[in-house]
Amino acid sequence: MSAIYILCLEDEPEVLDNVVRDLGEFEDTFPIEAAGSVQEARKIVADLTVRGDRVGVILCDHIMPGEDGVSFLVELADREETVATRKILLTAQAGLESTIEAINKAHLHYYVAKPWKKAELVQIVKAQMTEYVLGQESDIRPFLGVLDSERLASAIRQKGLLTDE
Amino acid sequence: MNLKKTVGLVLAVLVFFIPLVVPIPGLQFAARLTMGIFMSAAVLWMLEPIPIYSTSMLVIFLEIMLISGQGLLFNRPMAGVSAVPGTVEGTWVVDAASISDGTVYTLEEGRLGKAVPVEVLEIGTERVTFKAEGLSEATLLASDATDWRVQYKPLPYKNFFNALSNPVVILFLAGFLLAGASVKFDLDKTLTRFFLRPFGTRPAMIVLGLLLATATLSAFMSNTATTAMMVTVIMPIISQLKGDDPLRKAVALAIPVGANIGGIATPIGTPPNAVVLAALQGSGISIPFGTWMVLALPFALFLLFAAWLLLIKLFPAQEANVTLVLKGKVNKSGKAVMLYVLFGVVAVLWMTEQQHGLSSNIVAMLAIVALTVTGVVNKEDIRAVPWDVLWLFSGGIALGEAVSQTGLAAWFVNSINFETVGYMGVVILIGLVGLAMANFLSHTVTATLLAPLAISLQYSGVVNGASAIAVLMVMVAIGSNMGMSLPISTPPNAIAMGTGTFETKDLAKVGVTIGLLGFVIAVVLAKTMWPMVLQSL
Repeated sequence: MSAIYILCLEDEPEVLDNVVRDLGEFEDTFPIEAAGSVQEARKIVADLTVRGDRVGVILCDHIMPGEDGVSFLVELADREETVATRKILLTAQAGLESTIEAINKAHLHYYVAKPWKKAELVQIVKAQMTEYVLGQESDIRPFLGVLDSERLASAIRQKGLLTDE
Repeated sequence: MNLKKTVGLVLAVLVFFIPLVVPIPGLQFAARLTMGIFMSAAVLWMLEPIPIYSTSMLVIFLEIMLISGQGLLFNRPMAGVSAVPGTVEGTWVVDAASISDGTVYTLEEGRLGKAVPVEVLEIGTERVTFKAEGLSEATLLASDATDWRVQYKPLPYKNFFNALSNPVVILFLAGFLLAGASVKFDLDKTLTRFFLRPFGTRPAMIVLGLLLATATLSAFMSNTATTAMMVTVIMPIISQLKGDDPLRKAVALAIPVGANIGGIATPIGTPPNAVVLAALQGSGISIPFGTWMVLALPFALFLLFAAWLLLIKLFPAQEANVTLVLKGKVNKSGKAVMLYVLFGVVAVLWMTEQQHGLSSNIVAMLAIVALTVTGVVNKEDIRAVPWDVLWLFSGGIALGEAVSQTGLAAWFVNSINFETVGYMGVVILIGLVGLAMANFLSHTVTATLLAPLAISLQYSGVVNGASAIAVLMVMVAIGSNMGMSLPISTPPNAIAMGTGTFETKDLAKVGVTIGLLGFVIAVVLAKTMWPMVLQSL
């Protein structure tokens, strides 16, 4: 069964740890991968693609030594295996130009300004992952207790994702 | 492919051969094949190595291949011999092998024609002289009267294909299209607002309102879609309540409970009903739409009331007042209004079947035509119909056909002595078995496995008359629908559980109690009210 990952990309190790810790409740259903640089993240994505797994949500910082977050997001948006990945920018400083690029070229799904509140971050990731699952998965039963149940219920009603049997 | 799937498939294949290998007296070959198909399908439906709708298609396919006149086994012509006129007038002489049990078998184009009883006059060493009606010199007789192919007149393969277009399938297709259109034009939400408004703000009343509203909707729409919609309605209520307020559980559990109970109220409420109806129609017994409702509504109302008392007792609210914010506008577009009108007309026509004389299956066709002609339902809506559910119970219909026509039903009825339990004993047994199975298996699969066995009981000594068998079959429907103790029992349970407001143990407590209560209410009704209602069948 193809696994759906959450990928966190952040160059400051402390911050990266915080993100991963805050998203701990998703770990059972959506394994979490952490990357300290775009290069590392690229390798993670390549490895899991080869295995047939996918990235459902990526939380990405922008200003990093080496390649920056937005360019990586644009790269992901251009590739077939990651075009559906929900892209979240998690950053303290992204200038207007980079943000515009992220929205237009990378099809950014959400912008979270640092510092974040854990409850908010969890809600945002839950909502984004719900959209990913609704767009990509035909059987949404494993996600009923984990993701946004109201949104899932609404989609079940609209699209007949589940039926009497 | 994982281990569980492999085990399921291997087991299904092995189980198929059991009735073929084990000697079973009194069961002819085609009936053994049917038993093999039945047992194999049961394994596949229970363990689900392949999707359940796929198993249904497999059932139809195997029946066509193995027991139809055009399938591999029965489509090869048999060798025939002619009977020669005997020395005395009106007598015939034929090879001894052509007679078995005082019967010869005519062949038409190499296939089994008729079984002709003969009066044996003289038995020679190789030839036998006999008298019989309707034979001529041109008649060909089967040269071996004990050949397994003369024991069974194969059904045309079309009979099995027809399971896919059985009138009950059309009935449910109409139901699905109406339900789909209701979602498209938000009729389900409009009706919910309308039903819930009078219930006020007291928690106990709100729980009652939710039970009744959900049940009413799920009588016409799928239990699952109704549950999904009601979950979005209760989320604002849940978020008002404190985390440990038991009312959260009462409110969340009211939805799947109401949905499951409501599905029984009309013939189209839920797929197991289709299997039961088709089985009855196959025996020439037709329960009109309105009559089904007369049987089922008292049951549903009693049980809903009991469920209400159970929920408010088990989960008493801390909060004294709950505001129900029901937002939304009534869709007034042309097509929406047309839907409201058509829905009303079709519902009335269905319920007045005995007055106007058109069967509900015909009204269903009218509904389909009206919906598509007016554009209320378009191509996308047709494609969005859950065809897998239609296939699922088509398989059940085909299975029932084979079980009765190959003589498996008759054999089953004769092998077990039902006199010892009596009629009510059989009703109780079937209800309990159905209830138990439905908690772990798909409700439709439960009905599919029980209906062919239950309908065959009309040939036993204990079930006498159309009314008696109809009551038994309604019991099958109820048992199949009342399994609701676990998240896996039925999709509404899983969806409600997804809200995270209650635990499996809460669901189990409520589900087991209501399941058993429902069973008891059904047994009481089966003894008292239902036979009276069904007298006219």
